Amino acid sequence: MSADSAAGDDAEVDPVTLEVVRNGCVAVAEEMNANLVRTGYSPNIKERRDCSCALFDARGEMVSQAENMPVHLGAMPFSVRAAVDAFEGDLNPGDAVLLNDPFRGGAHLPDLTLVSPVYDPETLESEDQEPRLVAYAANRAHHADIGGSTAGSVAADSTEIYQEGLRIPPVKLFEGGEVNDNVLEMILSNVRTPDERRGDIRAQEAANETARERVHGMVDEYGADTLESAFEAVKDYSERRMRSEIEAFPDGTYEFGDLLDDDGRGNEDLPVEVEVTVDGDEVGVDFAGTAPQTEGPINAVLAVTSSATYYAVRCVTDPEIPPNHGCYRPITIDAPERSLVNPEPPAAVVGGNLETSQRVTDVVLGAFATEAPERVLAACQGTMNNVTFGGTDPRGSEDTDAGGEPYAFYETQGGGFGGRAGKDGMDGVHVHMSNTMNTPAEVLETAYPLRVLRYSLRPDSGGAGEFRGGLGIRRDIEVRGHTARFSLLADRQQHAPYGLEGGDEGERGAAYLYEDAQAYAAEEDAGVSVGEKLPQKSVHDLDPGSVVSIRTPGAGGYGDPDERSPSALARDLRLGKLSPEALRERYGVDPDELDGE
Amino acid sequence: MSEQPQETRVGVDIGGTFTDVVAVKNGEITVTKTPSTPENPEQGVLNGLDASEDAAGYAPADVDFFSHGTTVATNAVLEGTWVDTALVTTEGFRDALEIGRQDRPDIYDFDAEKAEPVVPRDRRFTVPERLDERGNVLRELDEDAVREVAAAIDDIDEQSSSGSRTQSDDTGVLAVAVCLLFAFENPAHERRVTEILREELPDVSVSQSSAVLPEIREYERSVTTTLNAALKPVMASYVGNLEREVRERGVDAAVKLMQSNGGLIDADAARSRPVNTLLSGPAGGVQGATHVAARAGYEDLITMDMGGTSCDVSLVQDGEPVVSTDVAIGDYTVGVPMIDVHTVGSGGGSVAWVDTGGALRVGPRSAGADPGPICYGRGGERPTTTDAHLLLGRIDPEGFLPEDRDVGVDDVRAGFEELGNEVGMSPEETAQGVLDVANANMARALRVVSVERGHDPREFALVAFGGAGPLHAPTLAAELDVPTVLVPRTAGALSALGLLISDVGYDYSQSMVRPWGAVDAATVAGAFAELRAEGDDELAGEGIAPERREFERVADLRYAGQSFDVSVPVPDGEIDADALDRIEARFHERHESRYGHADPEEPVELVTLRLHARGVVDSPSTAAVSPEGTVADAIAEHREVRFDDQAYDAPIYDRDLLPAGGDIDGPAVVEGPESTVVLRPGQSAEVDPDGTLVVDTGVER
Repeated sequence: MSADSAAGDDAEVDPVTLEVVRNGCVAVAEEMNANLVRTGYSPNIKERRDCSCALFDARGEMVSQAENMPVHLGAMPFSVRAAVDAFEGDLNPGDAVLLNDPFRGGAHLPDLTLVSPVYDPETLESEDQEPRLVAYAANRAHHADIGGSTAGSVAADSTEIYQEGLRIPPVKLFEGGEVNDNVLEMILSNVRTPDERRGDIRAQEAANETARERVHGMVDEYGADTLESAFEAVKDYSERRMRSEIEAFPDGTYEFGDLLDDDGRGNEDLPVEVEVTVDGDEVGVDFAGTAPQTEGPINAVLAVTSSATYYAVRCVTDPEIPPNHGCYRPITIDAPERSLVNPEPPAAVVGGNLETSQRVTDVVLGAFATEAPERVLAACQGTMNNVTFGGTDPRGSEDTDAGGEPYAFYETQGGGFGGRAGKDGMDGVHVHMSNTMNTPAEVLETAYPLRVLRYSLRPDSGGAGEFRGGLGIRRDIEVRGHTARFSLLADRQQHAPYGLEGGDEGERGAAYLYEDAQAYAAEEDAGVSVGEKLPQKSVHDLDPGSVVSIRTPGAGGYGDPDERSPSALARDLRLGKLSPEALRERYGVDPDELDGE
Repeated sequence: MSEQPQETRVGVDIGGTFTDVVAVKNGEITVTKTPSTPENPEQGVLNGLDASEDAAGYAPADVDFFSHGTTVATNAVLEGTWVDTALVTTEGFRDALEIGRQDRPDIYDFDAEKAEPVVPRDRRFTVPERLDERGNVLRELDEDAVREVAAAIDDIDEQSSSGSRTQSDDTGVLAVAVCLLFAFENPAHERRVTEILREELPDVSVSQSSAVLPEIREYERSVTTTLNAALKPVMASYVGNLEREVRERGVDAAVKLMQSNGGLIDADAARSRPVNTLLSGPAGGVQGATHVAARAGYEDLITMDMGGTSCDVSLVQDGEPVVSTDVAIGDYTVGVPMIDVHTVGSGGGSVAWVDTGGALRVGPRSAGADPGPICYGRGGERPTTTDAHLLLGRIDPEGFLPEDRDVGVDDVRAGFEELGNEVGMSPEETAQGVLDVANANMARALRVVSVERGHDPREFALVAFGGAGPLHAPTLAAELDVPTVLVPRTAGALSALGLLISDVGYDYSQSMVRPWGAVDAATVAGAFAELRAEGDDELAGEGIAPERREFERVADLRYAGQSFDVSVPVPDGEIDADALDRIEARFHERHESRYGHADPEEPVELVTLRLHARGVVDSPSTAAVSPEGTVADAIAEHREVRFDDQAYDAPIYDRDLLPAGGDIDGPAVVEGPESTVVLRPGQSAEVDPDGTLVVDTGVER
């Protein structure tokens, strides 16, 4: 579509107003986000930034978003839709709808979403006019606990959503500007850290208040009618750009499939299948053939599947296209009912967000790679390696000397980033649906009765290729002076990340348990593993002094390993990222041949 | 301002394009600009001094005070031209520097790259040793292993240079950083490693994390320490040359350098901690802006330094620039205190274009200085914001277009005509649109910078400087509902001015992570006493008399389990239980104002103690500037200037002729030697006694 006809489509909104209003819409979401991160209580929001904010128009279609986590990308529209549907015709100024039900607009229970309608300020002040709805503000934050069987509400062994925490359908938390204390108290009675939850919810309300104030400013400046047209123009703009990007892919149906290791309940090798159909400037994504929903907690609700799909499409098109409803118009998603990627209640879902979302990304990207490998990369580590330690800190707090404070420590681990057309994958990063920061060893040891014995890259874990896959990470943690409950929720320990264009698979992940420091040290000396290999989804009680070693997957390589340049091999060898043995085995090159490179 | 003896002070700031020299001689300010010489920056300083001495009429021997803002360390980081460096760290943590915090630089860009580790993997060595979180020794340092590491580092000297980011020719490792876990709690192991390395490798400079940044978080401490190590030889060579050249010229005054925290240090301190100078130039600008604004009576500021390619934004609160300890320089986040400068990719050279969705966009691509905007006549063909100002009459075509090049307003109009054809608008409408979009970009950035730090921009005055800042500021301020804009008279050389009015300043810190209830007053007092002794030593070394030394103590606290620290001023006087209570009370107050909530019942933790040692330098007295004549006398001409698609016959004022106390009403343009101020219809401005233009943006307070 040429720029001329594009301009003609929105006759009333010129290209300057379009850009100025678009900037304004993004600014609203960014300011909401800045305020949410600033006033949030929990480190989950403040440091890990596991939250997102968005502005929707009066139709409930998203016009701008500030997301820190790709897994929120396409999920927020489901929340607004659910909130609007629940209170059709009964939403009023000062109301705000809270929800977390994965089957009604949520993703997994720890993610709480707050949706607030915003009205034309003039109609609010007027006595004889009905308040005119102009927008919705919505934000989502991952709460550190929402009840259920496990502190932190990421239970690797849950089989029903009821074990995962409190399920909140769309409810009015605020009515006419007043908080509904009955609802709030009911929620707070069901969580382990009510004060923190209250603070985080208050921060969420403040974020929407920021949006309300800023949207009022936009209405004052442009008028509600022009703003409404401008919102349409902003969505149309993203749609145009997305369609022209999709058109660049050849028409046809691209298929791809991969496996999840298991669900932690003995159901193994679960297929995730996709058929991506490009037809002109539209794309259809169909997950027919994917495993049925399963007993373990790895079911991904449709909102999560959609997020992962939108993320993949955004990456292979132009990531600069402003994310809003317009981007999604040319994309249709079909996911079979009662499947791993579109489950029904009471499926357990907490890991769907964390693990299955990664595999959905892998298969959609894999499908695009069949036609346009240069725009995609080999498989990344494909897991978040979720680890939770919990117990009672044996160290007495010095002022009371009492000790005995309970603690729960949750973290995820990065790994290899896929090899790319033209460059190696990054080593040791969070991939695709996650992008959180880790906990520094010094902070971890100060705050919890744990010790980090080793934090390193895993040499040889990157899949061989002309452009090798990124390396995984090894992180070894000792339990100090107490018995700890340890939960592992990981994948890619049975089925390795795939390579592309002749590149090799990345090394699979693994987790080992050593009963004490002596056994751990023995392995260092022996050079072979003497630890007990732990299942990738499992829960254990760890004795004092025992050591857990988490090894995260390396990524797949891109291109024929024989094409890898001698200088790149020499560099890997020199940096110790590739051993002389692996150089011989995988690249068929003798280290001596590289002398002088 | 106290009575001053007659004196001459010189501040030299090296920027990307120009080297600015501000000389204050007997109260009179003279600004000169000469081209920078990036290949050989000290030559640029000498050229600048030539010009300044001629213009202001002083001899090198007259200079009483010489200060310098340098980009040497910054450029070395941005271009990776530091020296080959090795790292020695705790066993098991060889890769902590490379893995970083595991987040990737861009969520959606598959081509994104992580920052190259400052030290490549084959130069990172580990030694057996271990401390716990209180600094207790869990495993003794293996000294033999340290000697083996020294031998291995020495061995690298024999090999050919392998670091991809270095320019040095086969010189091997010239610097070593030592960064051991929990060394901030107990530096004994680091000190011993350093001693052994110095014995074994006498020619290599060593930086120790417990000296550079004794604070918790191993990755951030390692990055800061390795960068410091890698920059030391670079800085030593530069400062050595500069001192020698300036000395040979006949300047006797000591060379002082601006640090990122806005304080000056002497050359030796810069040599040992070059990582503290990474924002030397921008810090000078913020200091200059703060000084000028304070004299006009404003203490809460947003400063905006807009040049050709970007715009540096910072906040000043209660007359003090806001300082942060996690500012990113290029790909690296450095943990030392720096004036919190946020860079927005919007400048006079930002290129306008129409994207595939049909929207008019401005930047982030910049035409820079070469080819630059169309109106530079250096071959630029794409319209920029500077071209838009020119076409709309806000910049004087007569004065601005280069005489020696074949370029005219018609060329600029043709550029906008072509762009306008893509969007169905006239050249003038298009130019106005370009400015609207550029301002929308900047407004968004300024607002988010303020909101992220917990402030409402409406409560601040906007101080605009740099070549392009004053062109945009009055309009931008109106958009942000900011009532006042200040444009300093030396808007084009404010960084150099900042060098002349800043105090000597050193920062010291000591992490001490403890539940607040377990903190005893004597330990805190002891730690502060140690920091103060360091500060006293360093200030004495600079010849600062004891009565001119000031010490500000700060404690960083947080709620237990939180990761965001809040800095709380520690009251003067003895630290006792009562002082600790007051610190805690202040913490809750500050937390409330910064983050919007506080809970006095929640347990609190101490994280880091900080001390800022200040050597007070009297600001030079500057003469009031008020030319003879009236405001009307300052009108140079009337010109057609366009605002929002309307043409006005606007007065063009010569800034140098505007008398103090004079009032002007918009629409108007004030042209000065260093910048052009554009007042919209409905805005007005007053000239204060310093010559600062105080703009009333027409926004209701």
